[in-house]
Amino acid sequence: MVIIANLIQVLLIAISISIVFSKDNTRVVVFLASFSLLSACLYFLNKAPDVALAEVAIGSAIMPLFYILSISKQREFIVMSHVDDDYLKNEKNQKGKGYLLLENFTDYYKLKLYIFNDAEKAELKGIFRKSNVDLIIEKDESTNTYFLIGKQSSILMNKLAQLVENDDKTIVVKVKESETRD
Amino acid sequence: MNPILSFIIILIGIYGICTSKHIIKSIVCFNLIQTGTILLFLNLGYSEEGHIPIIGEQIEKIVDPIPQALMITTIVIGSTITALALILSIKIFHYYGSLYWKVVFDREG
Repeated sequence: MVIIANLIQVLLIAISISIVFSKDNTRVVVFLASFSLLSACLYFLNKAPDVALAEVAIGSAIMPLFYILSISKQREFIVMSHVDDDYLKNEKNQKGKGYLLLENFTDYYKLKLYIFNDAEKAELKGIFRKSNVDLIIEKDESTNTYFLIGKQSSILMNKLAQLVENDDKTIVVKVKESETRD
Repeated sequence: MNPILSFIIILIGIYGICTSKHIIKSIVCFNLIQTGTILLFLNLGYSEEGHIPIIGEQIEKIVDPIPQALMITTIVIGSTITALALILSIKIFHYYGSLYWKVVFDREG
């Protein structure tokens, strides 16, 4: 029994070294799940079956789920569009002006652009707190001007304001999270 | 079973926290330290001839149940701390656009 326990502990040390020196985050999460499973075996050999039960449920099932969920949320730049015309059009040969701008911006920061159209035009008050949106695009019909609305606390907005400096028809608005411009 | 081997896991975790370049990997290394600590504590109450601490005929010779009860609490609290740290990392990502420590410190200026 003692030999098996020592073998498992050496295996745990090997897995933890490979976690420290690995570069890929998704692979690290899979390593962590197997690490938890092996340590649960070790708890059982230490005559603590109750701790092993908790570790199997929490350590090797729920925690990797948390990690995968948060890693999948960390690659996107979410844009909510209130515009109906072809400012944000994305087809093979013709891309809209705004789409080119946002593509340029997200390539700079190596993010994935995700645009969705909000047909219901939900109320803007407090939307940054309620949902996970990074940028809102609106259009003023009378003067034909586009507003890009983003959070004041986000440093990314400074770069976006720099990109549209020369464009009169596009204005970047920074708002605090608690209040939204109207 | 050997306390020195479980102490090595704690040391590897501390090394990982100090040298990792990505925030997610720092949180994973925190979990490594937690597992090493649990192994160390379970080793305190362990004895070769003791039985699993369940009431029965063998109640005279059991391993110490106090460290085991404490370590269940450690596992549950560790999972909540991990969830909190991951939420904070999502917030950091939406502010700075990156999760590498160096890039975050550079952009903060």
